[in-house]
Amino acid sequence: MTMDPAVSLGRGLVLPNPVGVASGTFGYGFEAERMGPIAHLGAVYSKGTTLLPREGNRPPRISETSAGMLNSIGLQNPGVEVVARDYAPRWREWSVPVVVNVAGAGITEYVEVCERLSDVAGVAGLELNISCPNISHGMDFGTDPKRAKALVEAVRRVTELPLIVKLTPNVTDITEVGRAVEDGGADAISAVNTYLGMKISVKERKPVLPGMGTAGLSGPAIKPLALAAVAKLRRAVELPLIGIGGIGSTEDALEYLVAGADAIQIGTANFYRPGVSAEVLSGLIQFATDNSLQSWRDLRWSD
Amino acid sequence: MIRSAVKSASELCGQSDLSRAVDEFATCTSVELLQGTLFEIRFHAPRVAAAAAPGEFAQLLVDEGQVPLLRRPFSFSRVDISEGTVSFYLAAVGRGSSRLRLLHPGDRIRVLGPLGRGFSLPSSPGRSLLLAGGLGAAPFPLLMDQLIGRGEEVIWLNGSRSSSELYPDHLLPSGIQSRLIRTQDGSKGDPGLVTEGLPELMGVVQRIYACGPNPMLAAVYRSWASEVAAGHTAASLEVSIEAPMGCGFGTCLGCAIPLAAEGDESGPIGLCCRQGPVLPAQQLNWDQLLNQPAHLG
Repeated sequence: MTMDPAVSLGRGLVLPNPVGVASGTFGYGFEAERMGPIAHLGAVYSKGTTLLPREGNRPPRISETSAGMLNSIGLQNPGVEVVARDYAPRWREWSVPVVVNVAGAGITEYVEVCERLSDVAGVAGLELNISCPNISHGMDFGTDPKRAKALVEAVRRVTELPLIVKLTPNVTDITEVGRAVEDGGADAISAVNTYLGMKISVKERKPVLPGMGTAGLSGPAIKPLALAAVAKLRRAVELPLIGIGGIGSTEDALEYLVAGADAIQIGTANFYRPGVSAEVLSGLIQFATDNSLQSWRDLRWSD
Repeated sequence: MIRSAVKSASELCGQSDLSRAVDEFATCTSVELLQGTLFEIRFHAPRVAAAAAPGEFAQLLVDEGQVPLLRRPFSFSRVDISEGTVSFYLAAVGRGSSRLRLLHPGDRIRVLGPLGRGFSLPSSPGRSLLLAGGLGAAPFPLLMDQLIGRGEEVIWLNGSRSSSELYPDHLLPSGIQSRLIRTQDGSKGDPGLVTEGLPELMGVVQRIYACGPNPMLAAVYRSWASEVAAGHTAASLEVSIEAPMGCGFGTCLGCAIPLAAEGDESGPIGLCCRQGPVLPAQQLNWDQLLNQPAHLG
């Protein structure tokens, strides 16, 4: 292949290839590292990280649906201090860029977490999770364009790291929030996080998962919905886009690149096919060779 | 929900060694239909078989066509290293297990394993009580095989609702010291629950291994804890538990299990796939465990 598979996400963040693994589906990369090679990855997007450690929600936390799964993990994570102090030095040894996914309950928390990670070697970028459906207020920033913009501006002031904003699809018009975070100074957008869903137990006459019973739906079931969101965003913003939602094959990844994504993240498929990212990448490279692509953008749908 | 850095689950209980897991394309070599919905399915998976230990499990990708989406976790029931096979004992009750029952010899599926932490084996021989309720018999033939191979005396206590749910004798290894059967309807063996008469048995063994529905395990734990407190037994108790599981290797964080911290009723949350599925019984918070469902179905 003569084409360079690298992808630029802005502010100097260049991924060796477009295939990343989505936040919440790959931990901090250490489990996968034990199970097999990970050097082929374009990027690892870490588990959502908050200021203080979070124990996460009480079980049950997951439930299977048709071609999908619901999760309500509740941002279980060790807190930013452990990530910066213990994890980042290990990432420094990797050739794979690690983007830390950052979550918070308010602007102050997002800012503090991003500030703490700013000058930490081993952290290649930040992905603002303004779309977690499983903690109260987690999604507020993602559904209100004004607040989303204010949050990005606030974080932008404290870090020079590449800033990706991960959008929720649980809005009337995702392009409004996309434009707002572009105006706020984001370097790239990742889309989408999980869809709000529910599973009911008729036997128990209540939802399977606790609390309100709502949880985040992911997996192949959401792919057509997520593709539509990415295609709409492509027409609304100039920023690089990272497509996420139900990707489990080379064909799926290609569809996102056609829809307008510059890179992709594999999510739920990592759970049932731990070797899937390597297969998708080699499939993409093969496709590029077979079709004499000069750039991934050659694939993009334009009419 | 925010908690300061207390002892983490892995510091408290250890964690599985993921470097041993292999995702192997396995060929089904037999499906033996047993009573009712029960069956034993065997796969040629030499790399998994070579590494599998009692109490550990594999994640079976039932269908690459995305329904059911997630793999299904099953404990290794029997392993034949020379033939390179692993067997699983299950009931066709959910979408995953029902599909597995329809596999034919020659069909190929992905088998990822070994995963999780298994039973500890004795360093010097003594006497073990293996206690199973219903499908909880699954991990025990392999455990028995290894215990007996080490010169251990094995007492096998198998209980179920009725005789149709007992583990079949012909699949058990030879060399079992004593076999006890309990059925709730009295259709075979002594009528009653496996927990009846337990205190006497606990007094004459060094090790107890238990697997079955969570309420049964909780009853075994309580019986054991009171015998230990009374000084009537010094036996260890290890249990193999279930939780709804996503990945099986610690990244989805779905199979949360409530652990007990020392001197504290409510410990950290652990993962069934990394800290378990086999744990020393005293490391679990049993009250909370009973309030959660057992599996995805």
